[in-house]
Amino acid sequence: MTELWVEKYRPKRVAEVVGNRESVETFVKWMKQWELGRPPEKRAVLLYGPAGVGKTSLVLAYGREHGYDVVEVNASDWRDEARVKAVVGESSLQATLEGSTKKIILVDEVDGIAGKEDAGGIAALSRIINETRVPLVLVANNPWDPKLAPIREKCLMLEFRRLKKTEVVKRLREIAEMEGIKVSDAVLEKLAERSEGDLRSAINDFQAIAGGRKVVDERALEALGSRNRVREIFDALRMVFNAKSVRAARAALEGLEVDLDMVYTWILDNAPEQIPDPADLAEAFEALARADLILARVNRKQEWRLMRYAIPVMTGGVALARKHKPSGFVKFTFPPRIRFLQATSAERELRRSIAQKIATRLHLSTAKALSQMLPYISFIMVNDGGMGEALARYFEFTPSEISYLKGGKAEEAKEAGARRRAVRRKKS
Amino acid sequence: MSLREVSMLPWVEKYRPRSLDEIVNQEEVVSSLKNILQTKAVPHMLFAGPPGVGKTATAHAFARDLFGPNYIENGYFLEINASDERGIQTIREKVKMFARQIPMGEYSFKILFLDESDQLTDDAQHAFRRVMEQFSVTCRFILAANYSNRIIEPIQSRCAVFRFKPLSKIHIIQYLKRIADNEGLEVDDQAYEVIYDFSEGDMRKAINILQACASISKRIEEKTVYEVMGYVSRGEVRRILELALSGKFTDARDEVRRLLYVQGIMPSDLVSAIYRELFYIDLDEDDKLELLDLLGEVDYRVSEGATPEVQLMAFLARLAAKRKRA
Repeated sequence: MTELWVEKYRPKRVAEVVGNRESVETFVKWMKQWELGRPPEKRAVLLYGPAGVGKTSLVLAYGREHGYDVVEVNASDWRDEARVKAVVGESSLQATLEGSTKKIILVDEVDGIAGKEDAGGIAALSRIINETRVPLVLVANNPWDPKLAPIREKCLMLEFRRLKKTEVVKRLREIAEMEGIKVSDAVLEKLAERSEGDLRSAINDFQAIAGGRKVVDERALEALGSRNRVREIFDALRMVFNAKSVRAARAALEGLEVDLDMVYTWILDNAPEQIPDPADLAEAFEALARADLILARVNRKQEWRLMRYAIPVMTGGVALARKHKPSGFVKFTFPPRIRFLQATSAERELRRSIAQKIATRLHLSTAKALSQMLPYISFIMVNDGGMGEALARYFEFTPSEISYLKGGKAEEAKEAGARRRAVRRKKS
Repeated sequence: MSLREVSMLPWVEKYRPRSLDEIVNQEEVVSSLKNILQTKAVPHMLFAGPPGVGKTATAHAFARDLFGPNYIENGYFLEINASDERGIQTIREKVKMFARQIPMGEYSFKILFLDESDQLTDDAQHAFRRVMEQFSVTCRFILAANYSNRIIEPIQSRCAVFRFKPLSKIHIIQYLKRIADNEGLEVDDQAYEVIYDFSEGDMRKAINILQACASISKRIEEKTVYEVMGYVSRGEVRRILELALSGKFTDARDEVRRLLYVQGIMPSDLVSAIYRELFYIDLDEDDKLELLDLLGEVDYRVSEGATPEVQLMAFLARLAAKRKRA
């Protein structure tokens, strides 16, 4: 696989950062104060705005140009204070020594911690802002989450807007030249329009349609029709949730080149945010559950004629249930369900492998081994070394399976993983 | 396996009945099976009954009594778990591989044991019925299922159906006492009672609880059992209901996903746990009744093949729309 253009053409110097000049300059001034040994009054800066407009790129470019080590931390990894401290606290309190590498701490997806139940992470971050002796840069898509309020007032707020079409076209043209690709302005303009000011996605789309060729014409754009599915889903969701009739709701999915399960998941996981009234939400979920039942009958009994009821019930049901709308615009989000399944896949794989070993030896299904044996075996291994070791030998568990079972709780295994990642980041 | 190793086995395996005489509380089933052993005319059989009452153990014990202690090694017995074998195709392949060769020894047929056979879809069951017919000369089938009504008629009519009774408290406690004696444990009467309550009549669960207790102490009291069960179940279900009821629907949703997809709790167990908690949560009686009715619907839909996660969410969303008792 060739290098991703978004990485290859990431700006190396601040001057190369596209657009948002005002915020870029303010950021540079803010950094200058650190540089001069007079830390600014606001010790953290919050760069906010939509994806792909250069927030992270600016920080990386500045670091590279002025000899800073940018320590990147992804906020969605942590949930609580202990971890925030472990990752950010330590490096923020060590003032940069004369002659050693200068540091910028970059905390990505700050709005990711805000969403969690425990705001301990935010409180810790807020304290770290007070004490930090190195520049602390926070990045967020949506800084207006109420939970971020304590941080907002302590940060220099810098907005990053969607890039202008001309800016995107200009950058794509530069890339085309560096790659030696012949392409018309019309094609680049189409790419820029599609991207809606998200330079990263425009560059990705461009690389995708170029596909290694040296000449790119308008026909290549057709390939994007089905590739950019996320945008299509957003449009469909908007229509579903705002439809005034069952017919309109059903029509929202027409021509959508996404499979039904996927659309279902998007609707399912966006419903709670889009439907603020609990009674409405209960109605919507009842419709979704009924649609699920219809699909189950189709699958199980091969009753294909029932298929036609599934879509109107799920879309129309949700649309009609939504009698109250959220007060402001609530954006549609990538389904947490899919995120969850991705985030837990390693743990689920490990548990599955443990369960299979148990199942074959105890005449059980893997499912029963997982739910009915694993917790007890884990308990024994935590508590009784001798019996635990014997069981580990009997089931032929690997060392990582043993340590998972001994760690007991999944949370602990996850924390260990997060710590390891943090240590690696510090080292690099 | 050496004797020393056997002594360290998981107890559910170590104390599994090895012969029909050791099967507890299934006298009718055992005596019929013994008749079959004498005549050696083995029909296809369906073992129906709740989990943990000895269906799998009986199938193995029967085969051992029939074919001798090396019944597996000698190729007379194959066990397949329907819940692990997706699709009839795999089963068909496995059965063919197993049943194609006529056994070399004294017996002219083999036994294929299909556990959790009610997990097969109707289609797969119809296909399986044909497999049963195709190979019935060389292979007899024993099917195990929690509910015989989920097995299609044509299969049932080809099988001798044996119903396994739920184990009573006395039987479970007696069995546990035998194990405790053998392992040198000292167990309070009250602890036995509590283990039985948690086991819900499932011997496997009861033995697991006992072994887990023994990993903390040779002396087992009521509180030892609670310590184990606190670790194993951790009150998640109660918390899910509380979250929904206090308006934190998405948190409740995420917790359900964790239980179903990471912990791997079985949907039917989750529904049962909710059922038990529902009587005690902070709701008006009218609302409880409505939610119980809805939960019954969820239970039924899940058994029809609907997605448990989605059905449970509909339930939680309804719960979230209720007010706590004033």
